[in-house]
Amino acid sequence: MKRKAVVAIAAGAFALATLFSACSAPPQPSASSSSSGSAPATARTLRVWAGSTTPITVDFNPFHVDTALYGTYGELYEPLFFFNQLSADAPKPMLGESYEYSADGKTITIKLKSGVKWSDGQPLTADDVVFTMGYGPNKTKKLLSATAPDATTVVLKYSAPQFTSASQLLGSTMIVPKHIWSSITNPAKETNSKPVGSGAYIVKTTSDASYTFAANPNYRDGAPPIPEVQFLGLDSNQSGQDMLSTGQIDWTGMFVANPDAVTGNGVIATMNQQQDPTVITTCADASLGCKGAQTDPAVRQALNLAIDRSAIAEKAFAGLVGPSNPAFVLLPRDQEWLTDQSLASSPQTPQIEQAQQILEAAGYTKDAAGFYGKDGKEINLDLFSPDGWTDYNDAAKLVAESAGKAGIKITARTVSEAEYWTPVTNGDFQLAMYGLTQSIVADPFSNYDQYFNGQGAAKVGDAPTRGQNYSRYANPTVDAAIEAAAATNDAAIKKTEYAKIQAQIAKDLPYIPVVLNASQAFYNTKDFTGWPTNDNLYADPLPYLSVAPAIVLLNLKPAS
Amino acid sequence: MRFYLRRITFYIITLWAAISLNFLLPRMMPGDPAAIMIGKLRRASGGRELSEETIKGIYALLGADKNTSLWDQYLAYWVRLLHGDLGISSTRYPYPVATLIGNALPWTLLMVGAATVISFALGIGIGAFVGWRRGTWVDQLVPATALLQSIPYFWLALVLVAIFSVRLGWLPIVGAYDPFAYPSGPQWSWAFLVSALYHALLPALTIVISSVGGWLLGMRNMMVSTMSEDYVLTAEAKGLKPSRIRDRYAARNAAIPSLAGFSIALGFVVAGSIVTEQVFSYPGIGKLMIQSVQGLDYTLMQGVFLVITLAVLAANFLMDLFYGLIDPRVRTNG
Repeated sequence: MKRKAVVAIAAGAFALATLFSACSAPPQPSASSSSSGSAPATARTLRVWAGSTTPITVDFNPFHVDTALYGTYGELYEPLFFFNQLSADAPKPMLGESYEYSADGKTITIKLKSGVKWSDGQPLTADDVVFTMGYGPNKTKKLLSATAPDATTVVLKYSAPQFTSASQLLGSTMIVPKHIWSSITNPAKETNSKPVGSGAYIVKTTSDASYTFAANPNYRDGAPPIPEVQFLGLDSNQSGQDMLSTGQIDWTGMFVANPDAVTGNGVIATMNQQQDPTVITTCADASLGCKGAQTDPAVRQALNLAIDRSAIAEKAFAGLVGPSNPAFVLLPRDQEWLTDQSLASSPQTPQIEQAQQILEAAGYTKDAAGFYGKDGKEINLDLFSPDGWTDYNDAAKLVAESAGKAGIKITARTVSEAEYWTPVTNGDFQLAMYGLTQSIVADPFSNYDQYFNGQGAAKVGDAPTRGQNYSRYANPTVDAAIEAAAATNDAAIKKTEYAKIQAQIAKDLPYIPVVLNASQAFYNTKDFTGWPTNDNLYADPLPYLSVAPAIVLLNLKPAS
Repeated sequence: MRFYLRRITFYIITLWAAISLNFLLPRMMPGDPAAIMIGKLRRASGGRELSEETIKGIYALLGADKNTSLWDQYLAYWVRLLHGDLGISSTRYPYPVATLIGNALPWTLLMVGAATVISFALGIGIGAFVGWRRGTWVDQLVPATALLQSIPYFWLALVLVAIFSVRLGWLPIVGAYDPFAYPSGPQWSWAFLVSALYHALLPALTIVISSVGGWLLGMRNMMVSTMSEDYVLTAEAKGLKPSRIRDRYAARNAAIPSLAGFSIALGFVVAGSIVTEQVFSYPGIGKLMIQSVQGLDYTLMQGVFLVITLAVLAANFLMDLFYGLIDPRVRTNG
């Protein structure tokens, strides 16, 4: 009896071992499904996973920034111009032909392309643009008037200079048809399941598992070469990776720790553009109610020097991330705006001695346990990240570890996503792992305005009044410089102002830069050609961005 | 008759308690859904200023209005419920919760339901056989299936996907049907049904593999103890055919405790299998539940929990009635 049991368990273990060895072997390209094997005689449907999860709920409303399906921005609805976040080149015309700022920056005159039609065949005119600028969430008090002197000219008059809002007004405001939207009184409730847009694609069909776009026959440059694009809903990155390696999807953007496993078969290519900074957001301003030792700039400076960024990049982010810098410019794109070359990179290895000198100069002393403190109170900081964001969780642990080596006590913990956003928004935290959104134009202005502008700093307990100043950082020098930079179009003046901002934020460190996030795109180069390359970065090939994927789609051609 | 009346009263009270608890639970959870939603909007809009109107709307929608007392919220909750209005989802705004649940329920019922029934039938059948032949080599099935059950489920599912779907390419990786062949979604056709069954195969298989061991073990042990009962001995002494003793005398009585477990399992079918639906991107209720909890979507959470509660109660109620039918002792003593 006993012997038999042993045999059974051994047999089970053997079966498991075979399973395991079978799955760890490299995938064979020949085992892929029929879809990738046969060369397309006519152009086939391009299949994309942009990140939608199932069940897909149809929503093509461009005013639903949070729930609109991927493809709404760019493929269906278009802005006036395309701002390529990977280059410092001038914006490319989309619905607009050209634009001009008045000398004071308060008036923008936009020339539109002529003869453009909506997908329902109606003409697209300056009236539609004027309507869009004053409709729903686009309405602002700053917009004094929007007029259309003729069918292809739009004049926007503002109460304040708009030099720095170009990317938002011209690059991310989707123009909607007046003849449809003027009868929609509550844009928040509209799901817009049959969208009428100006983009290269129209909606062909939708279901709970996917939605499909077809080429728009009324598109101003003629129907695009890829006749159909199908967007899938998937619930895990593993499924995305599996479908990519079996040739069932052609394009996706997601984190894959070992990209060689996907690109090994020669069908899929990858591109990794590092853009968005991962930071430790600190609740920085004690006068606004922030509590904890991190409100002392000396502690933030010491922490900035103590963390081991190279270890974090390797261990937490699989070596796929880029180096961050305390000036919050994206290099090399924003090279022009970096005013002090010493700010080009944050320290990659821990500078423990320097960190300790800063603390000691600020009056901190080491206690018996080896941790720094002041007035008998040990520095004891709380660093949290959302549970399940494993790269952030690991990074937080490594931050706590290297800070501990320098004598700064940090406890890293994870919380549910629900418990993460509330304290971050309300300021009820000390340190949080956080991701900033990089400025989409070759100018770091929006980084400074969004995150460092003291006008948005609210008291702890309230959400930031404008922008995303979750750190509650308020520095009059920075605020004045932001205001001055916003009011000018003169690069030299702007640079002087940016120099002030960069010097202040690199010293004050309300956001301690850690790494630049990886953003990996994967795409099928065997069946489709024309993808962006490192020599020709005409658009970022990440399918979840807005507008950029539409530009990529227009450049794609079926491989012959 | 008194038995049935008592049972029905009991179930009505349970139902009321469950629905009230369903109202309270999400409100006792930490975090403020409106703040989360506003934060999300602000980030997604690339810093575009949110209008006062938008912010007000979100507070009204998510019921975080601090001016309304809990009692008033409770009354409004009941009124809404009696009208069949489960509210609007905030994570899938502006879709009604009832629609989301309505779309997900059939998939879960069919796939998880079939897997549960198959697993139960297999477990009881094989368990009865193993118990009958206790002490022989077939007893090895018990540790073997227990081993399969002890493997972490998601790992088992990932391994099976890696082998059968990715490496061999025999079975689909995700979905409830082929989205490439049916881009417009489900339709009434023979080919679609085949596609749906084909897609349900692997997820159902993983559920069966990981759950059959429990039924088998329970049934086998009950079978062994039933076979030492006097009435089995009597049947043997009377010279009845062994197959008749096995099926009509031992197995029938041994299956009764398992049936109670089955009724609960059947009720929880509606909860879906959260991990299965996640691994296979299967459009069921379990996934709605996890998404609503992650996104603090109170209305969706309430709706899903309500449906699960109702299903568990209904399954238990039916099984109670069924029990009364097959086991007269319950009617008199219960």
